[in-house]
Amino acid sequence: MKRHVRLVLALLGVLVLGSAAGTPAAPGKQFDGVTVNVLTFTGPQIAEPLQRRGPEFTKLTGAKINVVTVPFSDLYQKILTDMVTRTNSFQAFVFAPQWMVDYVTPGYLEDITDRVKGDAALQWNDIAPFFRDFSASYAGRIYTIPLDGDFQMVYYRTDQLARAGLKPPQTWDDYLKVAAALHKKDLNGDGRADFGSCIAKKRNAQSYWMVWSVAGAYLQSKGTSQGSFFDLDTLKPLTNNAAFAEALRIYVDTGKYGPPDELNWDVGDSRSGFVTGRCGLSIDWGDIGTLAIDPKSSKVKNKVGAVILPGSRRVLDRATGGLVACNSTTCPYATGGVNHAPFAAFGGWSGAINKAAPDRVKAAAYAFLSYMSQRKQANVDVTIGITGFNPYRTSQFKGLDNWVKAGMSASAAKNYLGAIEASLNSPNMVLDLRVPQNQRYQQVVLDTAIAKLLAKQITIQQAMKEITDGWEATTNELGRDAQLQAYRSTLGVKR
Amino acid sequence: MLTERDLGGTGSPNGPVPLSLPQALTRWAGRQAGSLFLLPAVLLLMLMSIFPLLLSVYLSLVRFQLVPGGFKLIFVGLANYRKLVAGIEREHFLGLLADLTPLIWGMGGAVTAVLLVFVIRGAARMRPAVPRTAGRLVFAVIAGALTWLAIRTLAPGGRPGTVITTILYVFVGIAVQYWLGLILAYLAAQQIPGRRFFRVVYLLPMMITPVGIAYTFRIMADLGKGPFAPLWRAVGLAEVSWAGHAWGARIVVMIGDIWQWTPFMFIVLLAALEAQPQELLEAAMMDGAGRWQTFWKVTWPQILPVTSTVILIRMIEAFKIIDLPNVLTNGGPGTATESLTLHAFIAWRTLDIGGSAAVAYSLLFLVTFMALSYISLVHRRLAGAV
Amino acid sequence: MTPAGVLLTYVVLGGWALVVLFPLYWILTTSFKLPVHVYDGPVFIPYVDFTPSGDAWRYIFVDLRNDTLRPYVNTVVVALTSSVLALGLGTTAGYGLLRFRYEPRLGVVGMFLGSLALAAVAITMGVPWQIAVAAALGLFILARQTLGRRFVRAVGNDDISFWMISQRILPPVAVVIPIYVMFQRVGLLDTRLAVIITYTAVNLPIVVWLMRDYFRNISIELEESAAIDGASPYRIFRSIVLPLSTPGLAATFLLVLVFAWNEYLLALFLTSANAQTLPLLIAAQNATRGPQWWYMSVLILIMITPVILMAIALERYIAKGLLVGALKG
Repeated sequence: MKRHVRLVLALLGVLVLGSAAGTPAAPGKQFDGVTVNVLTFTGPQIAEPLQRRGPEFTKLTGAKINVVTVPFSDLYQKILTDMVTRTNSFQAFVFAPQWMVDYVTPGYLEDITDRVKGDAALQWNDIAPFFRDFSASYAGRIYTIPLDGDFQMVYYRTDQLARAGLKPPQTWDDYLKVAAALHKKDLNGDGRADFGSCIAKKRNAQSYWMVWSVAGAYLQSKGTSQGSFFDLDTLKPLTNNAAFAEALRIYVDTGKYGPPDELNWDVGDSRSGFVTGRCGLSIDWGDIGTLAIDPKSSKVKNKVGAVILPGSRRVLDRATGGLVACNSTTCPYATGGVNHAPFAAFGGWSGAINKAAPDRVKAAAYAFLSYMSQRKQANVDVTIGITGFNPYRTSQFKGLDNWVKAGMSASAAKNYLGAIEASLNSPNMVLDLRVPQNQRYQQVVLDTAIAKLLAKQITIQQAMKEITDGWEATTNELGRDAQLQAYRSTLGVKR
Repeated sequence: MLTERDLGGTGSPNGPVPLSLPQALTRWAGRQAGSLFLLPAVLLLMLMSIFPLLLSVYLSLVRFQLVPGGFKLIFVGLANYRKLVAGIEREHFLGLLADLTPLIWGMGGAVTAVLLVFVIRGAARMRPAVPRTAGRLVFAVIAGALTWLAIRTLAPGGRPGTVITTILYVFVGIAVQYWLGLILAYLAAQQIPGRRFFRVVYLLPMMITPVGIAYTFRIMADLGKGPFAPLWRAVGLAEVSWAGHAWGARIVVMIGDIWQWTPFMFIVLLAALEAQPQELLEAAMMDGAGRWQTFWKVTWPQILPVTSTVILIRMIEAFKIIDLPNVLTNGGPGTATESLTLHAFIAWRTLDIGGSAAVAYSLLFLVTFMALSYISLVHRRLAGAV
Repeated sequence: MTPAGVLLTYVVLGGWALVVLFPLYWILTTSFKLPVHVYDGPVFIPYVDFTPSGDAWRYIFVDLRNDTLRPYVNTVVVALTSSVLALGLGTTAGYGLLRFRYEPRLGVVGMFLGSLALAAVAITMGVPWQIAVAAALGLFILARQTLGRRFVRAVGNDDISFWMISQRILPPVAVVIPIYVMFQRVGLLDTRLAVIITYTAVNLPIVVWLMRDYFRNISIELEESAAIDGASPYRIFRSIVLPLSTPGLAATFLLVLVFAWNEYLLALFLTSANAQTLPLLIAAQNATRGPQWWYMSVLILIMITPVILMAIALERYIAKGLLVGALKG
């Protein structure tokens, strides 16, 4: 019975939304008197569009949207604490879907599969398949509505590459070559030597995603559902083999062409370094694209190109732990013999609903998240730099008008969107680790070992051993079967 | 509630007691004075500390796990502690031990010998002998272990873990802050024009929120974007960065810490200097003592109690250092600048609540040991009493 | 002092003033910089090597308006109230610990703690807090009347003092979750009251310890003669002890005010929308695009200004003239 009510309410919400657009607001709106507290991090990114569109939504439906923000680094804990202690002061959350499993397993998040299926205005199928099927889903059910598309790409300086007669890197070996060619050249005309490659390698920041952007191409070649972190049968880590060693070697070697204090650079530094023209190459999410056209921060407007994460011609043979050359069986998705594995690090900000909220509030919360994600709103928001939203809908690649209006040249926009589209449509996208307590695997074990490796405290072999041992210990502590099942669920593998 | 009888207080100042007060109410209030002075503070502290203290002990013995329907706290005994001293966290927590060389043997042996003498002399002199000697023995064992750990991890080939790194921050930080604070307070207490300006200016660093200071130092210490970048390039060090070197990074963290906390020493010591009776100084001057002599003979003993307290308070606070390493380096390069609180914080942020509580409790143990040793070996002598 | 001595004094004092002021100067100029000025290597002097921009100030005061103002008011209220409370409770306790002898029996203290712990556990389990507290109180009184008299061993002033200072030893990371749970049960989350209570408790030990040492310097003869004249302990405390320790009071107040003003971790947990304080806003300027140095600088500046004014106001009392006058008078 309750379920039906909810369904009807959701449908009603959609209907009202559909009809309310453009019509003058009728008295006695559907969600009059409902307040939805939405928790996210202090913007302006992500919070800004929510705050801006909240009043619009209130006008349409009567529901008041109250956006509460906390510092980014504490968002994960804050959401979890609110639900674990049953404080439940928030009815909706906008967070990184990588954290989803920790909220879904205990049953804190509302399953919105039925609402989504009954929501025509959302145009679910317009959202890129990766975000629909992997990012928003867990074990076949939908828990979040994507508001943002996040994955990493390589940025390069079009002018510098043209001058040096180089092509954008296709493989990680190319990346090193390009970096070597640009290193110690003056890239921004200030008379000082600049850097070939800038990567955020600071400990406890983004380094553990960066290293996986490199490793993905070596570890995963047979599609998203193969996964790149563990063996699918035993949950043995894929971090102690020739392929991972090669990826680590590349990652360490990029440091030769980086700034001297690269070990202390986070993405704030690498982004600012790139847009002020001090770096030839960088790995980043979609942010550099929009920062580069902001006159307040950029010196490289329309000199920036983006390309899908470089790949590898050799990939891991999971049976032997060795590196094998790419062919049609080992790398079915390879292009030109190169296996690309774009890494959906972090996963793109998404909205979810607190299961413990009253039904009417949940309906309003859902309606709001849906409203934010609908084409009419979303396709505008992704072109505005301050929103922090990057494209995630197929329709967002049609028409460059909005981008050109935002200040990109047509060719730069085409190049930028091309890289995003190539990544987005890749069937071999690497899903970020989503097993319960994934932060302990990545943020503690992986990140610490990589930091020690980069600081030359340990060798590549020692680092691999430390990561593998640490992950095994964590798995054993948390229960191998449960972790294995969760790992498969995130990849949509059913057995 | 606790009554006067429980407290057993005499309810009167140590001085002579007024015996002939007429009003009964006043007398009652007078008798209760001891309780009324102390109880509100004690009650508030108990309220805010007992439960958190107990719960976090419990948390350090469990494993937090999210399961369908909520979360589970699985009792694991001392596993979280074992992980720190013998398991996968050992190198992180205690550090990597250098190979034993004759030099290490020599230094470690010397320390051991000193501690042995300390215990034996204690046994010979102290009365009652057994409990006091036992106390000294416990002190000697723990202090000896920590010293050995410090020597072996700081020697070439070793790598200090978060324990030694934290102790290093505390010792170096306090030593520099104290002497700097004392010199500045002494000079600022002189009758010179413009001293009010200096006094206010010196307090400024303490007024900024630690997170803000950490970010300020991050931009100041940035060799590409910070103010010292041109200078650094001019001396030909553009290719070198403190951020890549363990000691470079530690020193930058300590500089930030000194900048931030010298004002604390300064303000407390300044107030102590101002509060000393002027007559004594004047008398000493009359006797023809120089400034230097007056300071050490008259002023120094006067401010010793406050000195000792301020060092104790600062020590307890300094062990909790987190914002500077967290923002400046996030504990890097490698784990070189990671403090114990940061260690606990990183574990806590990733939901390893048991592991985090275990680190926090180890820190509690360490600080309690240091504070108790400090109080019984130093503070009692300097301050007359606790 | 010799002229050389004066010169040296000024050199040392001036040198450190420079060390202190330069980062602040840097914050000030950064608040008028655009991102490109920060990113592209250092620029030092406005109008000379860069054109200042009011963008960051506009963002904080115009775009964020209420989101800046609300935390600001919260910070002022919370810091002032909790500092005054901590100073009040801590000063009396510090005086008590110095001038009175306390010998609470161990068993009674233990029973009291036990009751308190039981109440806390009951509250966590979901028992309404009023009932739990009342029950615990009843239990304690009952236990004290029946068993309490058997205990002989007592703790002394030193133990109480050490226990108090030991309250500051635990790193906040370890206790933040229990404290959160406690306030959640009594329904005080996201209120200023919760933050005020917490800060008062956190700062109390420092007040107790510092004030005790200042009181120690006051000669006991004054108090004794007042007592002989028939003054009550309260009167002695208020009319003799407090005025004599004004410098200590001012310094201690400034200290705890600053601690409360700047606290981050506890505020993060105890507040969400209504009671958020300024340090949270500063930390929040480090987001997915890296630290927003310019906004951060504006916030640091507006946050530090009132405390500076307070320091200037209180500095007068730390000055020595007042004390000397009081002693002689």
